[in-house]
Amino acid sequence: MQQSRLRVCVEKQLAAFKLSVEFEVGTEILVLFGPSGAGKTQTLNAIAGLATPDAGEITLDGVTFFRSDTDQPINIPARKRGVGYVFQHYALFPHLTAMENIAYSLWRKPEAHKHALDLLRRMHLAPLAFRYPHQLSGGQQQRVAIARALAAEPKVLLMDEPFSALDRAIRESLHKDIRSLQMESELIVIYVTHNLDDALAVGHRLALVSDGCVQQTGSPTDVLRRPASRESLRILGVRNVFEAKVIALTEKELCLDWQGLLIKASAQQAEVGEVVTLYIRPEMISVTSADRFPDRQSLYNKIIGRVTGCLIGQHHRTLTVRLQNECEVEVYLPGLADDSSSLSDGEEIELALPRDSVNVLSEKSAFHPVSSRQRNSRA
Amino acid sequence: MNWSAFGLSLEVTLVATTLLFVAGLGIALTLARYRLPGQLVIETIINLPLVLPPSVIGYFLLIALGADSPVVEWFGLRLLFTWPAAALASAVVGLPLMVQAARAAISGVDPALENAARTLGSSEAEVLWRVTLPLARRGILAGLILGSARALGEFGATLMIAGNIPQRTQTMPLAIYDAVQAQRYSDANVMVLVMTLLGFISLWFVRRLEPPRGQYHISQTGADT
Repeated sequence: MQQSRLRVCVEKQLAAFKLSVEFEVGTEILVLFGPSGAGKTQTLNAIAGLATPDAGEITLDGVTFFRSDTDQPINIPARKRGVGYVFQHYALFPHLTAMENIAYSLWRKPEAHKHALDLLRRMHLAPLAFRYPHQLSGGQQQRVAIARALAAEPKVLLMDEPFSALDRAIRESLHKDIRSLQMESELIVIYVTHNLDDALAVGHRLALVSDGCVQQTGSPTDVLRRPASRESLRILGVRNVFEAKVIALTEKELCLDWQGLLIKASAQQAEVGEVVTLYIRPEMISVTSADRFPDRQSLYNKIIGRVTGCLIGQHHRTLTVRLQNECEVEVYLPGLADDSSSLSDGEEIELALPRDSVNVLSEKSAFHPVSSRQRNSRA
Repeated sequence: MNWSAFGLSLEVTLVATTLLFVAGLGIALTLARYRLPGQLVIETIINLPLVLPPSVIGYFLLIALGADSPVVEWFGLRLLFTWPAAALASAVVGLPLMVQAARAAISGVDPALENAARTLGSSEAEVLWRVTLPLARRGILAGLILGSARALGEFGATLMIAGNIPQRTQTMPLAIYDAVQAQRYSDANVMVLVMTLLGFISLWFVRRLEPPRGQYHISQTGADT
C-alpha cells in the first residue's frame, strides 16, 4: 500500500505565528486537525505551490517540489506539481458549467470529453452536467470540485475544510466517496478540518495541529485514547482537564493530590512529587447513591459534589458538578429520561470515578513534549 | 446633418477604442497585478484627463506631437492636424474611464479561482485568458464603452491638435460648434440629437452590464473564517 510518499517539512513566518510543520504521508488519508488559524491551510498552500515557504523541503517520491537550503533552491510552480486541490469554498469557475469545470485541466486532450463524463457519472453528477455552479447545491458543488481536481489525475489530493458548509447526511456520503476514491486511485490525501467528527470519519491517520506545529500524529483511535500532551488535550477539546500532584506510586496504583482531594488512579507513567495533568472523560463518571454504589468499590473513587448546572444534549445530558476541592467537573449522563433527571441545582450528589479512567499526563513521558512556556511564546 | 463629420467621428472613435482596449487593458492588468514603485503617481497621471481642462490636455499633446518631439524626430510621424491626432486625443481622455473600470473588475476576481486554475495546470497566461479575463469581461466591456463614448464626444483637445478642418479633421462635436456659430440650427439639431442618442445608448448598455444579483455569488458560509 505504501508506494508513494510525500515528505513535507516547511517553515514560514506568518503574521500571527510561525508555521513549522514536518510530516510524511503515504497512500492514505491524513487528517490535519486543529483549531482555525493553526496554519493548516498554509501548509496545504505550501504543498500545492501557492505559497512559498521561508525554508524547508517538500518531496514526492524523490521529486523535489521545493527546497531552500542548498546552493540551487528549487521551487516548482503549482501548475507542474500535479497536486489536486479542493478549496474551502470550492472555488468553482462561475462562468463554466459543471462539465466545463471538470474538463478544465483537460482542454488540450482529445479524450477530455469522455473522461469528464466518466467523472461526472462517478460523482453522481451526470444530470447536472450543464448547470452553472450557482445552480448547484453545496453538496453538488463539492462533488464538482472533487471531480475537477481528480480530472488531472493527481497523485496527491489536498482538501481544505471540504465539507464545512454541508449537512451531516451529505458529509457522511461524501466521506464514503472520498474513502473509496482514495483506495481506487491510490491517492495521497491530506484533509484539513476543524471538525473532529469529520476527522475521525475520514482519516486513516490523524495529525493534531496548533500554533503552526504538528503536536501529535497517530491513528485516530490512538490519538483519541492517548493524547500525548496538554496541547493535544486542548486541540481535541477534552473535558475535565486539571492539575494534580503525584504523592505515591506503586505497581498497581497512583495516588494523586487533586487540589486537596485525594484520589487513586491505575498505575501510569509518572514520578512521585511531579505535578501532572489529570483528565477524566465525562462519560466515565457516574452518579451514584448510597445503596446503588458499584459493587467492586475498590476500583472506584467516591467523590461528593454539588450540582451547578444541567444541559440537555442530543445524546446525553451534561451535568456540571462542583467538587469539594472547588474544581468543576462535567459528567455525561446517558439517555434523557432516567430517574436522576430530577437532579436540581445545588443538590448534593455522590460520584463514582473509576480508577482506570483517571488519566494522567506526565510531561516526562510525553510523546511530543510541549512546555507551556513555548506555547505562550508562540501564541 | 454633416455626413462627412459623422463618418470621421466614427473612424476616430473606432481607432480610439482600439487604442483604449489595448493600452487600457494592459495598464489595468499591470496596476491590478503588481505593486509598482510610484504606483500612486502613475495612477494619478492616468486619471488627470478627468479633471484637466481639454485645452491643457491639448497643449500637452501639442508638445508631445510637435516639431521637436521624439515622435517626429525618430519616427517621422507628423500627426498634428490629421485625424489620427484626433483619435489619440480622444483615446487619452477616455483612458481613465477604461482603466478604472477594467482594473476594478480584474481585482474583483477571487484569487482562489486563479489559484484553482494554477493547481489544475494552467500557466499564468492561461489563467489570464481562461479565468481572469472571462470573469472580468463585464467590467472591461463597461469601461471600454464608457471610454469610447467619452472619446466620441471629445472636443477641446481635438480642436487644439487636429484643428477644425472640414472633411479632414472636423468631427461631429466640432461640426455642431460650427453649425451653431453659422446659425445653421436645423443642421445642429440633427447632430445634437444623434450625439445624445449615442450617449444614451452607451450608458444604458453599461448599466445593463452590471451582473444580475447573485449570479456570481460563491458560498461563503464556511465556519472557518
